[in-house]
Amino acid sequence: MDRRDFLRNSALASAAMMVPSFLKAFGIGRNDLYIPPTSTTGKRLVVIQLSGGNDGLNCVVPFRNDLYYKARPSLGLKDDEIIKITDEVALNSNMQGLADLFNNGNLAIVNSVGYPNPNRSHFRSMDIWQSASDENQYLYSGWIGRYLDATCDGTCAKPYAAIEIDDTLSLSLKGDNMKGLAFSRPNILHSSAQNPIIRGVANEYKSNSDHPEVEYLQKTLAETMESADYIYQHSTTFQSQRTYPNDAFGNRLKTIAELICSGCDSSVYYISLPGFDTHVGQKGQQNRVLKTMSDGISVFCQDLKDNNQFDNTVIMTFSEFGRRVAQNASGGTDHGTANNIYVIGGKLAKAGVYNPLPDLQNLDQGDLIFNTDFRQIYATMLENVLGINSEKVLGRKFELMNFV
Amino acid sequence: MASKQKKLQHLFLRAGFGETPEYINSIMEKSISSTVDELFKTSKDYEDITYLPYPIPQDAQMKGVGIGQILKMFLKSYQEKEDLNNEWMNRMSTTPAALREKMTFFWHNHFATSTPFAYLMQVQNNTLRKYALGNFGDLLHAVAKDPAMLLYLNNQQNKKAHPNENFAREVMELFTLGVGHYTENDVKESARAFTGWGLNNRGEFQFNEKQHDTGEKEFLGQKGDFDGDDILDIILSQQQTSVFITTKIYREFVNPDVDDKRVQELAEGFYKSGYDIDKLMRNIYTSDWFYDDENIGAKVCSPVELIVRYKKMINISCTNPKTILNLQKALGQVLFFPPNVAGWKGGNTWIDSSSLLLRLSIPQYVLRGEGMVIRVKPHPEEAPESKSQDANADKGIIYSDWSNLNTAFMNLPDDTQQETMLSYFIQCDTSRIDRTLIKMSWGNKSTDSLTLSMAAIMSLPEFQLI
Repeated sequence: MDRRDFLRNSALASAAMMVPSFLKAFGIGRNDLYIPPTSTTGKRLVVIQLSGGNDGLNCVVPFRNDLYYKARPSLGLKDDEIIKITDEVALNSNMQGLADLFNNGNLAIVNSVGYPNPNRSHFRSMDIWQSASDENQYLYSGWIGRYLDATCDGTCAKPYAAIEIDDTLSLSLKGDNMKGLAFSRPNILHSSAQNPIIRGVANEYKSNSDHPEVEYLQKTLAETMESADYIYQHSTTFQSQRTYPNDAFGNRLKTIAELICSGCDSSVYYISLPGFDTHVGQKGQQNRVLKTMSDGISVFCQDLKDNNQFDNTVIMTFSEFGRRVAQNASGGTDHGTANNIYVIGGKLAKAGVYNPLPDLQNLDQGDLIFNTDFRQIYATMLENVLGINSEKVLGRKFELMNFV
Repeated sequence: MASKQKKLQHLFLRAGFGETPEYINSIMEKSISSTVDELFKTSKDYEDITYLPYPIPQDAQMKGVGIGQILKMFLKSYQEKEDLNNEWMNRMSTTPAALREKMTFFWHNHFATSTPFAYLMQVQNNTLRKYALGNFGDLLHAVAKDPAMLLYLNNQQNKKAHPNENFAREVMELFTLGVGHYTENDVKESARAFTGWGLNNRGEFQFNEKQHDTGEKEFLGQKGDFDGDDILDIILSQQQTSVFITTKIYREFVNPDVDDKRVQELAEGFYKSGYDIDKLMRNIYTSDWFYDDENIGAKVCSPVELIVRYKKMINISCTNPKTILNLQKALGQVLFFPPNVAGWKGGNTWIDSSSLLLRLSIPQYVLRGEGMVIRVKPHPEEAPESKSQDANADKGIIYSDWSNLNTAFMNLPDDTQQETMLSYFIQCDTSRIDRTLIKMSWGNKSTDSLTLSMAAIMSLPEFQLI
C-alpha cells in the first residue's frame, strides 16, 4: 500500500471507524437518562423560512380588488390561475396543498405582517426577522437561540431542543449562551461524530472552570456528541409511509417527520426554502417554488396526522419582506415590505383568514403598510406553543394573537 | 510563565497568521524585541492587490457616461469577489509582510463593507493596507471617502431620503466613538456636513459643491460651517475615539477579556501620539503583559485565521477554489462579505455544534485528500435550481504537504516527541488533553505516524485557541 493510501485509510481519515467498546459505553449510555422535553405545552413549532422575499400578493390573491389588477396588468393572477377559498380570497393555484389545509380548518393566514421602518435589503431584513430586533438594532443572537437561553431555569435545554435541517446554523438558533443544532441528515451527523479524536474528547469531558475558553469548546463538543447520539437513536425507528416530493425541501420535511415520529423531543424545527427573489419572470419562478412549498407541507401534515403528531404541531412560514404592489418592467416585482404569514396546525385556536387583506389604496410609496408586528407572531408562538415567557426572549412585551 | 517558544508563537499568531515550527526554531536565539523589530521592518514595504483590472473602458470615461451606467460596469458577478477573496487568502499566507496584512484584515472588519462592486472592494482593500500601520486619522479620512464605503452605506439603508444620515451615524456609532457618546442631533448635523460627498463617473470620490449644505452646524458642542472633513477632525479630537479604537484592538490582539486599566493607558498613549497605529502595536508587542499566561491561547481563532494557519503549516490547496470558499461560508466568515456594517463579532459566536464539528474535522478531510462536501445556504438572489444546491459540484481534491512539519519533528527523542509536538501547536493549557488519544502507534519514527499524530493534535478543541 503506498503512503497516500495509508494516510487515506488510517483510522483518523476513515469516517467509518469502529468506536472502541470502552468509548461506546460512555457515548451511548449517557442517553439512558431521561431528559424531559423543553416545550412545556407538549407542542412543537416548525419554522419554514422562505428566503428571497416571497411575493405574498400573488399567494393570497385579493381577486375582487381592482387595484390589484391595475398594479399588475400581466402579473395579476386570473381566474384560471387561482383557487378561491372565500368570497374575497384566493390562493395561487400552485398552493393546492395549502388550500386543502385551509378548507380543513388547519390554516390561518395572517396579513400585513412587518415592522416599523422596514428595510429592503435581504441580509439586513433577514437579520431583523431572525434576531427579532428593531430596525435600528444589531443583535448577534436569534430569537430561537434566546428561547433556548430562557429555558435555563435549572436544567438547560440541550442543543437538540432546537434543530435546523441544514449544514450550517442560522442566526435564528444562536442564543447568547446556547445554540441549536444544525445537520442535514441524521446519518451524516452520526458519521461525522465518529472521528475517534473528537469522540474521545467528548466522552472524557468533565466540567472545569479553570480555563473558560477551553471549557466552552469542550462543553459545546460534549453536548454536540450527546445530541448527535440522541438524534441518531431517534431518527431510525420510524420510516415514513408517505411519498414526499423528491426535492431538497421535501427531503428536509421528511427528515423532520421521521425525527418527530421516532420520538425526538425537540421543541423547534427550522428549515429554509430559497428561490423567492422574483425580480424577473416572476410567474414561472414563483409558481415553481410555491408548488414545492405547498406539496411538501401537504405531505408533511398528512404524515404527522397519520401518526397522531399533527394536533401537537404548529407550522409557521415567513419571509424577510414582501414585494412591491406594482409589477416592474421585467415581469417581476422588487423588494417590498409587509407580507402574509401562514400558520398551520392540527388544532389551531382560530383558523381562516385571520385579519383583513392588505390595503392596496394607502401605500407607503408603493409598498404595503404593516399592521401586525412580526414579534407578535413570535410572542404567540413562544407563549402558546413553547410555553415560555416571551418578554425574556424578545426584550419587551408584544401583544399576543389567538390563532394558536 | 510561558517559554520563549510559546511567546514567539503567540506573537506570530496575533501579529500575523502564525509560523511554522521550522521558522520558530530558526529565530529562537534572537531576542523578542528584535523579532518584533523585524516584523515591523518587513511590513514597511507592501504592494497593492491588483488582481482585478479597472472595469471601465477608456472611451466610456470620455463620453461623460452617467453614474448609473458606471455603476453597472463595476457591478460584477460574485465570481469576481470570490476570486478577490482567494487572492487575499493567498497573500495572507505567503507574504513576508504578515503584520501589515493582519492589520488590514482587522481594519476590514472594523470598517466592514460589502458591496457587489468587486473592483471597488479591491480599491478599499488597498486603501486599508496603505494606512493599516499609519495614522488612524488619515485612515479614517481615506475610508470616509472610499467609493465602496460611500455606496455601501447609502445602499444598505435603502431609505428614500437622508442617505448621509446613515453614513454619519455609522461613522460615529461603529467606526469612532461608539454608542452613547453622541446625540441624535449630532447625527443630523453631521449628516448635513457630509452632503455633497459622492462619486464621479470614474468611480472615484468627488465633492459636489452644489449639493453641499454650507450652513452653520452644531456638532459635539462646537459650532461652525463644518464640512465632512471638519466633522471627522472633531471626532478625532475626542479622547473617546482613542478609547473605542484601542479597546477594539486590545480585544482582537490581546484578550477578549478587556483589562480596563491597561486599555486606558494604551488609549492615552495612542491619543497623545496623534493616533499612530505603528507605535500602538509596537507598544503592545513589546510589553511584558502581552506575553502573560492569561493572554496566550485566550482567543477562539476566526475562520480566516484558521484556514491561513493551515495554509502556512501544510500548504493546503484545492483543485476547486470553491471548496475553500465554502469552508469560509460554513464557518461563518467570508472575506469581503461581512454580515453587516458592524462586522463579525468573533469570539464564541464562531462556535456552534456544526461549525465546531467542522473545524475539528478538517484534518480528517485533509488526510483523506477529498474536498469536504459542504452545502452552504444559497445567496438570496440565486434561483432555486442553480448548481450551488449540488454540493458535490464544489468538491475537489485537497492537497497538503506535511513534509516540512515532519522534518521538524523527525529526530526528536522518543520520550519527549509527543510533548514537543504539542508545544508547537497548542497555545493554551494542555492539561486536559488525553495523550493516549493523540498517540498514533504505527511505528514511532515513520513520517506517517508523525503526520497522523499532528493531524490528531489539530483535531483537538485546544487547537482552535490562539
